[in-house]
Amino acid sequence: MRLILRQFLDKAFTLAAAVSVLIIVGILLVVLVPMFQKGLSAVFFTETIEFRKLQKETHNRGNDEALQRRIEQTNAARKPIYDVLADFSLGINTESLVKEAKDIYQKYGEYLNYHNIPKDQYTEYRKQAKDIRDTMIAALESDNKDIVLANLDKVLAQEENPIYKDSPVQKLFILALQYQKTARTIDVAKRSEYLTNLQEVTTAIRQLFGPLPGEALPPLPMDQYGATRMDMAQKALHILLWDEAWVSDGDGKPLVKKNISRREQFAGTALEPLFDQVEKNIDVLLMPQFRCYWQYFIDDWVNSHYFGGVGPEILGTLMLTILAMVFAIPLGVISAAYLVEYAPDNHWIKLVRMCINTLAGVPSIVYGLFGLAFFVVTIHAIGKPCILAASLTLSILALPVIIRASEEAIRLVPQTYREASLALGAGKFRTLVNVVLPAAAPGILTGIILSLSRAAGETAPILFTGVVAMGPIPNFGSPSEWIRNPGSLFGGLLQPTRALSYGSYDIAVGDRISMLVPHQQFGMVMTLILLVLILNIAAIVIRSKMSKKLRGY
Amino acid sequence: MAENAAQTSVGQKKAAVGFSRSLLLTPSEDLVGFLSGHLGRAILFCITATSVAAVLLIFYFVIRESIPFFYTGTAASGIARVKEFFLDTGWYPSATVPRYGALALIVGSLYVTIGALVIAVPLGLLAGVYLSDIAPFSLRQICKPVIEILAAIPSVAYGFFAVMVLAPWLQTHLGFSTGTNAMNASLILAVMALPTIISVSEDAMSAIGREIREASYGLGATRAETMIKVVLPAAHSGILAAVLLGMMRAIGETMVVWMASGNASRIPSPWWDVSQSIRTMTATIAGDMGETPKNSEHYYALFTVGLTLLVFTFSLNLISEYLLSQIMRNKRGGK
Amino acid sequence: MKKILILAMFVVVAVGLMSVAGAAEEKKALQLDGSTTVGPVGDAFAEAFIKEKGCSITVKKTGSGDGVAALIDGRCDIAMSSRYLKPEEYKRAVDANVFPVAHVIAMDGVCVIVHPSNPVKELTGAQVADIYMGKIKNWKELGGSDMPIVAISRDTSSGTYEVFHEKVLKKQNMDAAVEYVNANPQAHARVKSTAGAIAYVGLGFLDSNVKALKIDGIMPTRQTIAQGAYLVSRPLFLFTNGYPKLGSLTHAFCIFYLTEEGQSIVEAKGFVSLTSY
Repeated sequence: MRLILRQFLDKAFTLAAAVSVLIIVGILLVVLVPMFQKGLSAVFFTETIEFRKLQKETHNRGNDEALQRRIEQTNAARKPIYDVLADFSLGINTESLVKEAKDIYQKYGEYLNYHNIPKDQYTEYRKQAKDIRDTMIAALESDNKDIVLANLDKVLAQEENPIYKDSPVQKLFILALQYQKTARTIDVAKRSEYLTNLQEVTTAIRQLFGPLPGEALPPLPMDQYGATRMDMAQKALHILLWDEAWVSDGDGKPLVKKNISRREQFAGTALEPLFDQVEKNIDVLLMPQFRCYWQYFIDDWVNSHYFGGVGPEILGTLMLTILAMVFAIPLGVISAAYLVEYAPDNHWIKLVRMCINTLAGVPSIVYGLFGLAFFVVTIHAIGKPCILAASLTLSILALPVIIRASEEAIRLVPQTYREASLALGAGKFRTLVNVVLPAAAPGILTGIILSLSRAAGETAPILFTGVVAMGPIPNFGSPSEWIRNPGSLFGGLLQPTRALSYGSYDIAVGDRISMLVPHQQFGMVMTLILLVLILNIAAIVIRSKMSKKLRGY
Repeated sequence: MAENAAQTSVGQKKAAVGFSRSLLLTPSEDLVGFLSGHLGRAILFCITATSVAAVLLIFYFVIRESIPFFYTGTAASGIARVKEFFLDTGWYPSATVPRYGALALIVGSLYVTIGALVIAVPLGLLAGVYLSDIAPFSLRQICKPVIEILAAIPSVAYGFFAVMVLAPWLQTHLGFSTGTNAMNASLILAVMALPTIISVSEDAMSAIGREIREASYGLGATRAETMIKVVLPAAHSGILAAVLLGMMRAIGETMVVWMASGNASRIPSPWWDVSQSIRTMTATIAGDMGETPKNSEHYYALFTVGLTLLVFTFSLNLISEYLLSQIMRNKRGGK
Repeated sequence: MKKILILAMFVVVAVGLMSVAGAAEEKKALQLDGSTTVGPVGDAFAEAFIKEKGCSITVKKTGSGDGVAALIDGRCDIAMSSRYLKPEEYKRAVDANVFPVAHVIAMDGVCVIVHPSNPVKELTGAQVADIYMGKIKNWKELGGSDMPIVAISRDTSSGTYEVFHEKVLKKQNMDAAVEYVNANPQAHARVKSTAGAIAYVGLGFLDSNVKALKIDGIMPTRQTIAQGAYLVSRPLFLFTNGYPKLGSLTHAFCIFYLTEEGQSIVEAKGFVSLTSY
């Protein structure tokens, strides 16, 4: 081949190799950056007054007085909006108005009885009231604007009649007045349409500001507060201001989405100014400000992760991994020390090494199956999925990593250390414990931290052996109880727990509610990644210090 | 003490410098030390043997819970069961007449694994070449942590990424009818297998030694020719081991494929259409285990799937073990 | 010296973790296992209970079958299930001296959903069955646009799948090209993002991002499901071992759905309370 071609190929090859490394770094960034971007919004976000209300009521955080003042301010700003909404709703819901008219008529009858009106006058008044009621009902039920207005005028003509003063019928006149106001502005025939749209508007207002004044408290916490974050408020605001409909684009073609402005929907009615008011005054209505919600890592969740944090999950993961380390570290380090220092070179030891390598290659789901079949089903002392079974499974998972890392670290200890120790008269065991292990400690520690991060991140082994989606934080009792009754400690280990790894899976595919709060989903995954990353960076730092120490530079 | 040395009893060796006792005691003199030494070694051996015990127990339990699936009475029905398991593509465990055909699951696992390797092996080998031969020391120090972080990210985080970020992207930009498919799973599995492939192949290439490289340069080869024609073939066993270890990682992965592969139990047709959903063995076990009552046929069938997985990864392990022992030989200067 | 310090630090951390974990006294405990469909209601009931009575409730959502198996093994107090017990399960329970009692806490309807841009508004049960068996492959055969149908089903271990399989497909096998997802939110997300998709979800997952189809002329609403008029309506069960002892925590949980609060929670979660007809 010609020299130039060969040199070109050489350059191309080098370039390809460099590009591949860049691609790998790029992949890492592509995977991590969106997670962190969206996950951090669970901790750093723009909160609203509703969030502060929530924090005060569930965790009692925040300055009482300042909060009260703020709440009063927002309530004052919201009152006109609620009034407009209430007015319009009253005037549009004809079914309930009909019921009220009938109610008022009955009450009027009782009122007359109460005032001991003589019988013939009684019948007379009642007949007149009945007329008014029927006219009112005719007005409410008619679809023809002229008939409606005519009937309403007839009703309101009776308003001046002194016999109805201070009687329940006054209320009927108020209703008639309100309906007249509404009826003048809307197309009466399309009443039901207005009603549906009004329901959507009311739902949007509830999503923004919480339950309307005078409404019963909804059972679920997520409905008891309005929008707690500005991004959720923006979404609700969009629903408030725009309606969407799917209209046909022609036969046999998919429908297309059309956005209809709600201002147009309610044009000319009493409700129209509401939209402008909400949109322009959103700052006063919700009082957004920036917040660093670091308690996210401590709080428990409220209402299926809609609010709250991931505290118990972090605690569960830590408990599982630390317990797994308690089992795995002694076994692993002792095994590694034995394999390096004491083991003869026969086939038993080859078998052992082969088994350790096999353990490293077993798929994690098979660990889960084994954990289920052995620790949960066969060992009757445990008998059910719990922290103990899950930690034992995780410890077997971590064992090969610790053995490998420790073996390498112990091998790397220079032979001169051992020779010097032996020369000073120490036995082999003494040498191992006092000289070799401390010298190999950084490497062993790196191995421990790496297996810790692996155990923290694994989901499949703990799926059937001890993790739950919702449950109490395991109760270990207090130290005083342990002294009195050591068995209670063991009892604490027999409870299942939540964990970050399983929680991330559950929240991604679980409840419908989690879909409404993507920041919570990303937040949990980000917490898991952060935990693992912190552990790994610690391992890297320790290892670089170790290489300096052992190499001397 | 020097005076004591002069008064040592008969039978003990005289040391140059006086000690209160001889350095090496016979068992009869120091029974306790002798016994405790050997006992200690025995205990240590037993502790080390727990790993062996663990492996044996794993195999025992998985096999024990799979046998009831095959052995339902007669040998003929057992053989029929085996045939159905490996040759039938229909996995309908809760139908009125259950069918446990795992062929689609096995093919699904292999499909995403090979897809992952197709992406990961060239990328990984090139990166390994770069890191072992071309990169300056400082760059290598930076790249190593990057690769370790890539290896450390939990699989559920990758699965989350696959479902929430990659799947919509695939759907909008590549126009697939579904974003959770074989391609999605293969891409993520490739990312997960990369660190293994890079580190093992880099080790293998460094173990070759400078002499071979210098000889090649001395004959006038360019760097590319040296790498492609000399180093890679010389390290072929290590590289093969790297590929096999990456394959083991990819085939054993559960959470990513459970969330991202679509879980459709079928063989893609046509076979090269990666935009179709498939289901792997690991996802079947993880997904079905929660629903199955203990000790039902479905339960045993799932353990059988687990056994297939275990046997497969075990054999891959054995082969890569053997290949890795070759680079040990290279390191010590053999071949 | 340093080693002792490090060891002491570990012990302190461990003790600290455990005391943070369990500083409370012994509380009454309840264990629920079972269906992912009934799970959200169980969660919400549990949360309301914990707030009122201060007990501790554990909820595991692994699937209807596993919940019933846990009840039989005695590992849980209440099993949540989105389907009734199968005959083999019932027999196994009785053999193990467990006599399951069903409490129906809500009704659910399995709604067939498509993307809102799909012009198709209703289908018959037979057509839906044909779609899932692979006989109909393109929307234009049903009066829609020319798009291939992407059929999505819940995986075979779910109670929702079983109900759909029984009532719509009449126990026939689905086509091999049907895609399986693990849970309702995934099915919802798939339909939301794919114009040609069809899937089935519970009533609580209907929102403005998907469109529910009329099946055999009946729209899935609270009334039609509660009356059983809609084709795929099903009750949601809580199973206990025998009728729970009056006054126990289990009993209170099982009758919680009768209270106003329980009913409003059921409706807020998107299910149909029994009294809706």
